[in-house]
Amino acid sequence: MPFSVLAFATSPRRHGNSETLLDWVLAEMEAEPGFEVEKVALDEVTVNPCRGCNACEVLGKCIQRDDMDFLYTKIVEADCIIFASPIYCLGICADGKALIDRAQVFRSRKYVLKIPVVAPEKLGKRLGIFISTAGQNWDIVFDGAKMSIGCFFHVTEIKNRDILYLLVRGVDKAGEVETHPTARDEARATGRAAIARIREMNR
Amino acid sequence: MDPVKVLGISGSPHRHGNTETLLDTFLEGAEAAGGSTRKVLLHELGTATCRGCNACHKDGQCVIRDELIPLFDEIFSVDVLALASPIYTMGITAEMKGFLDRSQFLWAQKYILKTRYYTREHIHRHKGFFISTAGTGWENVFASAFPTMTAFFDIMGFEYYDNIIAKEMDRYNGIRNHPTALAEAREKGEKVVGVIAGLKGGRPAEGTQEKGKGAI
Repeated sequence: MPFSVLAFATSPRRHGNSETLLDWVLAEMEAEPGFEVEKVALDEVTVNPCRGCNACEVLGKCIQRDDMDFLYTKIVEADCIIFASPIYCLGICADGKALIDRAQVFRSRKYVLKIPVVAPEKLGKRLGIFISTAGQNWDIVFDGAKMSIGCFFHVTEIKNRDILYLLVRGVDKAGEVETHPTARDEARATGRAAIARIREMNR
Repeated sequence: MDPVKVLGISGSPHRHGNTETLLDTFLEGAEAAGGSTRKVLLHELGTATCRGCNACHKDGQCVIRDELIPLFDEIFSVDVLALASPIYTMGITAEMKGFLDRSQFLWAQKYILKTRYYTREHIHRHKGFFISTAGTGWENVFASAFPTMTAFFDIMGFEYYDNIIAKEMDRYNGIRNHPTALAEAREKGEKVVGVIAGLKGGRPAEGTQEKGKGAI
């Protein structure tokens, strides 16, 4: 079975900086034998915000019927989940935050209902990657986003030590990442590191 | 003198939940002190999220003409702004984030086009509150929300005045069982109306409040 890589481009701006970084990482992974990648642009699917109804604490699934129906399955089956988001107002863009909040289902399964989120043989073998770009150069600009993304990966059974980060500051205008001095190399290195880690975890 | 205007914006999709109850109590306190209050539910507006098109960087206008545009206008007409959102997955809700992100056109006016400017006096007379609840008791559970609030109040010309936050909702089984949060919300609602009324009347404000702990 090939390793499956599920990537979310959560920016409302298609083919912008965070998605370009994602594409570079995916190109590296796609070229590797034994890896299959799939990219989902949130712009092309419907992921409504969580309603906070807490029904998933009883049902173990979400009562909303939208494209999360099939995305939930993809999330639990993937060997690698990549989440790409720009920083807006010092946090993940609202569209990406909606996807993260819908992971409440996994939290309910894990901590309330105490039923498995992923197949037991996948535990400790899943890798997460967070890719982000920010217009500002501030040190703290990714801090808030990393807290939410850490929770997202935690409830989808990806441990902190199994998360790779590709964070590029100071890119704002469309296409600006293309001229960034190191971003493309960093993205390739992240792709290669991910391949090595996934192989190592599944040895 | 016009009454002190207080606008509460609820970013919770969960009607009458812990955060909205905390906001309601804050607004009740403001009413009791003579303020005129209004509450807006973002969930009911069903507005669009920022597209990241950056068109506003050129003309300072948002290309999405929905109900958030008059809401931003309304914010500029009030004295006190309370933003209420529960914490979901260590951050504010997607609805609240969607609303805050749409302020990008005002950010562009302020920082790119330089057509928007607030005097120190203006900022001093406009007070912003962040109201929130969280299920867990983790010490850092509000930490990712504070910088976003700081950025938004800065864009809107409001002083980030205070937080009304309560964690461990799961342990307390709801805000109504929390020992201090509702009383704190009511008291802060009352007090801020008095402070603004004092500023409007040209008198020094009675008492001073500690600046929002989350402000950076």
